[in-house]
Amino acid sequence: MAPNAGYVIAGYLVTALALGGYTLRLFARAKAAKHRAHTIADRRRDG
Amino acid sequence: MAATAERALGKATSRSGEHLLGIATLVALGVSAVLSLVVAPPDAVQGEVQRIMYVHVPAAWLAYLSFFVVFIASIAYLKTKKTRWDRVAAASAEIGVLFTSLAIVLGMLWGKPVWGSWWTWDPRLTTTAVLLLIYVAYLAIRRTTDNPFRRARWAAVIGIVGFVDVPIVHLSVVWWRSLHQGPTVFRLGGPEIEGTMLLALLVGVAAFTITYAYLMTLRLRVGRLEERAAREALSPLVGAER
Repeated sequence: MAPNAGYVIAGYLVTALALGGYTLRLFARAKAAKHRAHTIADRRRDG
Repeated sequence: MAATAERALGKATSRSGEHLLGIATLVALGVSAVLSLVVAPPDAVQGEVQRIMYVHVPAAWLAYLSFFVVFIASIAYLKTKKTRWDRVAAASAEIGVLFTSLAIVLGMLWGKPVWGSWWTWDPRLTTTAVLLLIYVAYLAIRRTTDNPFRRARWAAVIGIVGFVDVPIVHLSVVWWRSLHQGPTVFRLGGPEIEGTMLLALLVGVAAFTITYAYLMTLRLRVGRLEERAAREALSPLVGAER
């Protein structure tokens, strides 16, 4: 392996994790917000 | 002009636009990775470790772009008082903080083998750290009040004033003696970089720009859904007060 290749691997890994992790977090936030809005609306309709 | 920008934003944030951008992001990042890691030659002096440049520089440029969008959206909010602009500014600030943090971490990973140190209080690094703190404060201030109009007004002021640091960061390597290298692409006399390396860098910037557009569409949808959830939670209370 080329010298200092570990830094390059770490750099691209950090980039992939940051962008991928943030994207997944946004999906999770959207799902949670949608679920929250539906739950409140359903509860109000039922009672 | 504001109406045209709003229409374009509406189109890009539709679900089909979001899916298309998602696919374009994956393809662009894949092409950029191949160009950066396989096609571009290693640097004559630094060797393989210079390949970090193809993610470090795009991350830094996208941080500038994100905060420029915050700046423009903040002005638009103060002028029109439309909450859509506040939502755009908040989304772009959050993504800008992500790109700034990424640029700093990647810079540290590049700095350690080249400079022999993870961090140094160099003008470029210091002004970038200040930039990160300004926009972390911007996001923190947004959480200090539940009044959406007050929150949007305070945030807009910080979004406009905070942008002053962006040109300072960019020109810090020209104004002061710096360990960080000077401009290699946007400089008098043209780019000072080998052709394939320049191509890999520009493709990297394009790929990160498409990624930014995709993250903005997702983050704007999250913003709309969270506001809807908050409205649903508040509406019976508003009804009870009547």
